[in-house]
Amino acid sequence: MLLPGLLLCGIPKDTIAAEDELNCLLCHKHRGLSRVEKDGDFRLFYINEELFADSPHSRNECKDCHSDIDRIPHDPSKGVDCTRECHMLEPSGKQKFSHKFMAEELAKSVHGRLKPDGTPKPNQEDYPGCKDCHDEPLFRPLSFYKGEEIAGVSQRGITRCKSCHKTGDFAESFYKHVTSRLHKTRSPKEMIRVCAKCHEDRELNKRHELDDTIHSYKETFHYKLIALGSETTPDCIDCHVVVGENPHLIESKETKTSSVFKKNVPTTCRASECHEKAGANLAGFQTHVTYSREKYPLQFYMLIFFKSLLAVVMYFFLTYVFLELMRRLFPDFSFNRQEWAMAKARRKIHI
Amino acid sequence: MRKYEKIVIRGAKKYFFRFSSHQRIQHAILFSCVILLALTGFPLRHADEAWAKPLYDIMGGTTVAPTIHRFAGTVLLILFVYHTIYWITLFYKNRVLPLILEDRLDPWTFVKAVFSMEMMPNLKDLRDFIHQWKYLLYFTNTQPQYDRMSWKEKFDYFAPYWGVPILGPAGALLWWRDEVTHILPGIVLNAAYIMHTDEALLAVLFLFFVHWYNVHYAPEKFPAGTVWMTGYLTEDEMIHEHYGEYLQVMKEEGYEAEIKPQH
Repeated sequence: MLLPGLLLCGIPKDTIAAEDELNCLLCHKHRGLSRVEKDGDFRLFYINEELFADSPHSRNECKDCHSDIDRIPHDPSKGVDCTRECHMLEPSGKQKFSHKFMAEELAKSVHGRLKPDGTPKPNQEDYPGCKDCHDEPLFRPLSFYKGEEIAGVSQRGITRCKSCHKTGDFAESFYKHVTSRLHKTRSPKEMIRVCAKCHEDRELNKRHELDDTIHSYKETFHYKLIALGSETTPDCIDCHVVVGENPHLIESKETKTSSVFKKNVPTTCRASECHEKAGANLAGFQTHVTYSREKYPLQFYMLIFFKSLLAVVMYFFLTYVFLELMRRLFPDFSFNRQEWAMAKARRKIHI
Repeated sequence: MRKYEKIVIRGAKKYFFRFSSHQRIQHAILFSCVILLALTGFPLRHADEAWAKPLYDIMGGTTVAPTIHRFAGTVLLILFVYHTIYWITLFYKNRVLPLILEDRLDPWTFVKAVFSMEMMPNLKDLRDFIHQWKYLLYFTNTQPQYDRMSWKEKFDYFAPYWGVPILGPAGALLWWRDEVTHILPGIVLNAAYIMHTDEALLAVLFLFFVHWYNVHYAPEKFPAGTVWMTGYLTEDEMIHEHYGEYLQVMKEEGYEAEIKPQH
C-alpha cells in the first residue's frame, strides 16, 4: 500500500520524466531509507527510479502529489490526495487534469463512504480509497510479442509511432498513456485478488452483513476456469459493472441501476460473448451460493443428501474391505467354538 | 453368437468363462469414458489445487478438455442406452419369448422372469449378505457360496444405473445452460451443478477404491485382475468369489473329482 504510494513521489529518469525539482532523490535514492512508525508499522521511503519512470505518474513532479512538502529536510508527509488537480492540461477539455471524477463515481457507488442522504455509513475505515485497489503492480505495463508476455512498454510498438512523431519523448509517453488504458493489464486472477483483499475478510463481512462472496464465487465454473488459465470467463467487475459504465461505479444489488439488480441480471448475463442466447431465466441462477440453510435451502439439503450418500457408501465398503483383509489373517477363528475346533482339526490333517 | 467354453484348460490350469467379447468391449468403452471424464472433470472440481492446472493442461487445457469431457460423456450416455436395449433384448429373447410360445405369459410369470435375470437382486443375495457379515465378524468360519453374481457385483452393476441418470442429464443441462434457461428456471442449473459434481466424487471414489479393490487390489488378484481382458477367471478367483457357481460348473463339465475345498 505504502510503497506504491511512495513510488509516485519518486524521481524520474533524465529526459523522459519530470525534473527532480527539489532534489528529493538525494535522500530517497537510498534503498535502506525507512522508519518504524509509532504504531509499529515499518515504512520504506526508497524510490525505485526505474519503476517510477515506467509508471503512469512518471511525468509528475513530487510536489504535484506531495503538496505539503515545501522545504528540505521535511516533516512527516501527510497522505496523498488523488483528487488534486495536477499540472497537466487535459487535452480534450483544456482543463487541469484531476482524478476527481473517478472519486465522485466511487462516492456514488456501493463503496462510497456516505449514504444517499449524506450521512456517513458506519465502519468508515472499511470503505476503500483510490490506493486500496490501485496498487502499483496492477499498472505494470505489459507488452505482447509473438505470444510472449514481456514486462514494460513494447519498444516494437513505439517504433511505429516514432516513424512520424520524431521529436522529443511525445511518442513514448503518449503511447504509454493510451496503451496502458487499452490493455487489460489486470488478469482476472489479479482482479479477484483485489476484491478479495477486503471481501474475504470475515470480520469485515460480519460488520457489513455480507456473505463470503469470494468463497462462493470460487465454487463457480467462472472462477474454476480462470484458475486453470482461461481469460474468457468473468471476474468480479465483469458482472458487477454495467456494460459501458465506469468501473468505479459498482452498485449494490438493491440499487435499481445496478448490473446485479434482479431485473438487470439477464441483460448482464447476456453481454456479448457471454450467455448471448440465454433466456431471462438465467437470472434465477444463484451465483454466490453459501449453502446456508436459511438462504439456500435447496442447495443445503442437496448437499446433505449427497454427502450422506457418499459417507454411507464409502464407509460401508471401506469397512468391508478392511474386515475382509483382516479375516484372511485368521481364517479358522470363529466365536462358535465347535467350528473353530473343527477348522483346526482339518488343518492338522492337511499338514 | 459365439459359443464360449465354460472351462478352458491352458497349461494344466482351469479357466472359467465369465464375460463375452461383446460385454468386454462394452466395459472397455465404459471405463475409457469414465477415466477420460474423471481426468477432464476433477481438475475443474479442484481448480485451486496444485495438481489441477498441470493435469488440465495435459488434457488439453481450458479450450480442449471441455470438448473431451463432453465427447466422453456423450459416448457414455449412448453406451448406457445401448446396454439397456441389449439386456432388454436378451431378456425378451431368453425369458419372455419362451413364455409367449408356451402361452404361459401372465403378470405372475412375467415378474418371476424379471427376478430370474442374472443381475436381479434376490433372496439368496440377502442370505449371502448376512452370511458374509457373520463371517467377517467371526461368528462363523464358513463362507457364503456365491453364484454367478454376488451381491457385491450386483451393487457394482447397479451403481452406473444410479450414477449415469444423475450425472448425464445434469451434465447435459450444464452443457446447454443458455438454451435450458428458455424453458426451466435458473435454479435448475444450481441443482444440476451439485448433482454433477457431488455424484462424480461418489462415482470416482467408489470405482477407484471399492471396485478396483474387488477386481485388482484383492490379494489373490494383485496387482491386476485380467478377466476384463480375457473374459475368463482363474480357478483360485472362482473358488474365492463364486464357489456356488464353481461347484455347479465343475459338476456339469465332468470335473467332479477335481473339485477343491473353499479355503
